[in-house]
Amino acid sequence: MLTEKLQIRYPTGTNVIRIEPHPWDVMLRHALDCYPRECCGIMLGTLQDGDERTVTTAIACRNSYEGDQSDRFELDPKDQLAAQRLAREQKLEVLGFFHSHPDCDSYFSATDLANSWPWYSNVVISIVGGALNRAKAFRANETQTESTEEILTWPQS
Amino acid sequence: MATILIPTPLRQYAGGQSSVDATGSSVSEVLASLTSQHPALKNHLYNDEGRLRSFVNIYVNDEDIRYLDKEKTAVAAADTLSIVPSIAGGAA
Ligand SMILES: [Zn+2]
Repeated sequence: MLTEKLQIRYPTGTNVIRIEPHPWDVMLRHALDCYPRECCGIMLGTLQDGDERTVTTAIACRNSYEGDQSDRFELDPKDQLAAQRLAREQKLEVLGFFHSHPDCDSYFSATDLANSWPWYSNVVISIVGGALNRAKAFRANETQTESTEEILTWPQS
Repeated sequence: MATILIPTPLRQYAGGQSSVDATGSSVSEVLASLTSQHPALKNHLYNDEGRLRSFVNIYVNDEDIRYLDKEKTAVAAADTLSIVPSIAGGAA
């Protein structure tokens, strides 16, 4: 079984998140479409073995930050309410959120950490010169004082 | 009894449940009923001054209570409350 392989490959306690092809297309296209502004969105999917995450649906959302969006984003809570509802209807979980860093690397900034929630996965897509550079995933601790990188896989990774 | 939908990260503080029924005729009463049933939720919803945390949004059905009567917003037995996280950030 796939899950057994993953358990062998990754040490216990490592957070693993896998993005399926369709949601990855949605995320990457949204990041490219919004360039040179930051994009944002919501990831839904499944949890296995307690905490192994598979993203099966991605929702591209409007960046509702009022101001310069080249290095800021804000999700509209109304979009999250709708995503929570969709997750319940489809028996999925809201696994986390994604956003882009135009002409910046993929890292979890102090701003990202301060405005995050624990538990959720946060995928940061680095777009440099209008093309994909790399993507990484991070998770904030309970007190939002630090983040750890998750093992992220997507179709072309 | 109103129903409160619990977002995934907070379910571990609500006995693993995705929704909790609570009594009360206003948002503050319903949330007080929720935190009396699940005291571990209190720190995650309220700050030290006992006010709702800024990164917690409460919806009654489809309406954000910030645009209604805030925590005094009336709640009927058939209403559903949602706890919606504020998420933002940026490379800066
Ligand atoms: Zn960021």
